Amino acid sequence: MTPADAYPWLKALHVACALLFVGGLVASSLILVAGRGAADRTAALTLILRRWDRAVTVPAMLGVWAFGIGLAVSGGWFSYSWLQAKLVLVVLLSAIHGLQSGQIRRLATGHDIKPLRVSALVVPTVIAIAILAVIKS
Amino acid sequence: MGTDRWQDEWLQGPGQPEKVVPTVERAQLDLRQLRWLRIAAVAEATTLILLIGVAVPLKHLGEWPAGVRVLGPTHGFAFVAYLWLVLQSFGAGLVSRGEAGRLVLAAFVPMAGFLAAHFLTSRAAAPLDRRLSR
Repeated sequence: MTPADAYPWLKALHVACALLFVGGLVASSLILVAGRGAADRTAALTLILRRWDRAVTVPAMLGVWAFGIGLAVSGGWFSYSWLQAKLVLVVLLSAIHGLQSGQIRRLATGHDIKPLRVSALVVPTVIAIAILAVIKS
Repeated sequence: MGTDRWQDEWLQGPGQPEKVVPTVERAQLDLRQLRWLRIAAVAEATTLILLIGVAVPLKHLGEWPAGVRVLGPTHGFAFVAYLWLVLQSFGAGLVSRGEAGRLVLAAFVPMAGFLAAHFLTSRAAAPLDRRLSR
């Protein structure tokens, strides 16, 4: 398979992983808001989310990075400013997910959590990433 | 129905539904998390050293850019994985804000990742009550 043949597959898998990752990120944000100060009320939901996070969201995040790096290498895009800006935003989303994942773990062990204000950046960051990926300028 | 049983097992685990994680089990989870973080610190530090100590000089002095093409993305992946694990440990209360800040800073300094791994080894060896009090 040549790099040109692999491109649509890499792109499709990258988009699929991105959709699953963002879905998990938004779900985590909502559960963490609901669970704050009411860990016992959301305990069952937190355990389900923790399983989902480990089984789907984390592998999807790793897939986003692996397929995204593959795409950038095959297209020779690392020197383009749109990709550099997008990389910063994806690192930000990954960092937010890391914090959320830790808080879900804490919530699942019966501890209370502090508010995670940075979660408010998820929606604008996803919109900015989509614009950068499509417009590429 | 089979599907319902599969859904119940996936959501709640086989047998009884999960309750709050007991203390000993939680301590084992903490140790596993610290072990992963230590592995990520070593991987990040190793790829950084190989990138700036071998691949970059080979590109500029030996006109061999293939090393950077391979090690650049590899180090990027290792960096993100390490950053994610540091933040997850911080979110879970395993490391303090200051410790998380120093662990992140260590990712930018060559060799400092190995010091971070050493710190994480001593943290994992700390008494159970000290780890759980965080």
